[in-house]
Amino acid sequence: MRLPAWAVGLTVFALLVGGVYFASNLAGESPPFAIPGASGPAPGPSGGADPAVGEALISQATPPCTSCHGPDLAGSGNFPSLHGVAEGPKSENLQDLAAANPDTWIHLWIDGTTPETEGIDRGGMPMFGEQFTPEQIDSIVAYLETLP
Amino acid sequence: MTVNPKVNPKKLRPYDTPPKRRRSPIPGAPDSAANGFLAAAAVWFSLASGLGVLAILLRIGHFNITFPLGLFELAFQLDERRVDTAFVNATVYGWLTNAGFAAIVFMTPRLTGRRLVGVPGLNIANAIWNLTLLGGLAALTVFDLGPNQPLTAMPWLMTGGLAFAALIVTGSVLATIGSSLRTAYVSVWFACIALLGLLGMLGLVATVGIVDWFIHFDELPLALFSAFVERAIPALWLLGMAYAMLHYVVPRAVGHPLASGGLAILTWLAWLVLAPASALAALADPSIPFFVVTIGAVATMLLLLPASFAVVNLTSTVRGRWSVLLGPGPAAAAFVSVVFLLASTLLAGIRSLEDVATFVGGTEWDNGLFIWTMYGAFTLAALAIAQHAFPRTLKRAWSPTLLSAAAMWLVFVGVTVAGVALMGGGIAEGSFLAQGTAPEDIDAGILGYQAVAFGAFGLVALGALAHLADMFLLFTSARPVEYAIPGASAAAVASH
Repeated sequence: MRLPAWAVGLTVFALLVGGVYFASNLAGESPPFAIPGASGPAPGPSGGADPAVGEALISQATPPCTSCHGPDLAGSGNFPSLHGVAEGPKSENLQDLAAANPDTWIHLWIDGTTPETEGIDRGGMPMFGEQFTPEQIDSIVAYLETLP
Repeated sequence: MTVNPKVNPKKLRPYDTPPKRRRSPIPGAPDSAANGFLAAAAVWFSLASGLGVLAILLRIGHFNITFPLGLFELAFQLDERRVDTAFVNATVYGWLTNAGFAAIVFMTPRLTGRRLVGVPGLNIANAIWNLTLLGGLAALTVFDLGPNQPLTAMPWLMTGGLAFAALIVTGSVLATIGSSLRTAYVSVWFACIALLGLLGMLGLVATVGIVDWFIHFDELPLALFSAFVERAIPALWLLGMAYAMLHYVVPRAVGHPLASGGLAILTWLAWLVLAPASALAALADPSIPFFVVTIGAVATMLLLLPASFAVVNLTSTVRGRWSVLLGPGPAAAAFVSVVFLLASTLLAGIRSLEDVATFVGGTEWDNGLFIWTMYGAFTLAALAIAQHAFPRTLKRAWSPTLLSAAAMWLVFVGVTVAGVALMGGGIAEGSFLAQGTAPEDIDAGILGYQAVAFGAFGLVALGALAHLADMFLLFTSARPVEYAIPGASAAAVASH
């Protein structure tokens, strides 16, 4: 019984390619395993929202958040930094909103279409509730809360 | 069948009562075990494909059925997860495993030239396997499924029953092969390892189930173990049996010897090393070292190697008989199976890439790949062996009919369209999820894909019914004919 030379060569080549892929993917971390029947991953500070989705949405917004708040959202001109919003608002005009809605003020402010934000000077901030669903805004909030 | 020895039938007078013939309640004729498994497989094929249609319907309609049984506060429940689980179990343990057992007990005596050992035991194993599986499917509609994937979701008692039946089949096959394994044809090698793989996995699942009964494991380790088994059973048992069947059927269907024995051995070796390792890819969790998952991903990609070897070898075997592939016989089914085998292995390799897994993992894409693998690659190989074996085990003259052509083409078209639709739906679903789209909008966005898959999988169910009817007509109306008897002589075996 003779082994075809081309097949042996192909096997060696494939093993080499596999070895290179293995060596270049030794480090990393898998996402949490989705247990069947479980009610999903443990909710974060913004419920079941996904910060990774929020990060993607920030650049898809019209206009993108980075166009006013800076490329790394650290603030630009009159537009405040979004870093550290988990600890409370920096702008004067949002203090009352945050005091009345300590857990949901960021969501309400980004949305802008709810009665709670009526009468507050938005300073050019669009009402993103017209573009995004509440779940998407949750994800954006979840991302913002990860910014130090 | 035994005759009362006290009465000589030749000396009976007209008014004498003929001697009573005592039939054994358990058939023991050489090919009765293969017949039994083939018949059970055909019934399960129809049942499983029907469950598949229902599973896709539930994904579209999102409805549940629940009513209390009035016993221990238990309730009969039919929801998306339970029907999915029943569909996978009926497909893997019902249709494909019965077909696999049939193929093993059909091929082994013919390839080794030995009479099958323990045929009554195999028929008992058939009864145990199928009754246990029916009980297991019923249990799936009542009991909590826990953190299990479908193939480990049945209660451990049922899995233990399946393991016991698999043990009987394994014992019988190994006793038949005996010392001739070294010189046996490559299909026997594939079948032996595949059978041992199935037995090992079922034994492991039953053992873990029993231990969990006393010491309750945490959900995560159980879920990871379940995911490993879910990947290992198709890779070891079903893929191994598909290779065994294809290497057996193709040369016989086209009337040529296998093109390269050496390449077949290399196929076997590559599969043997890579298939168990590929199951490690299912252990993706921060608690498992990342390199372990990477080994699984690499092995899954490299499974393309044995698939490519098999395609080259079997295609070379067909040389000059291409017209056979256009007909309705086992050759066409086997060849389409080979194509699906290559395509689904390639897609599984792509799926194991980290970025792809992040994008389509858990979406309809996985269901599309499942359909291509189970109903494209494995089912068409099983249909090929059934169409080749059933006339021989029943000793009937048979040439491909309209029904056998319908079975093959309905399954082929249905699987192709349903798989493409679900994979397309999965890519759309992945895009929606990446954008954070609301669940109801995602459902609306993939509805069209699911509707196409529903219709296409209906064709697969029709194909299964056509196969069942074809087998029934073969049994009831085909002309009796003699084929070479396995074990009679090596020459007879070689030409069988």
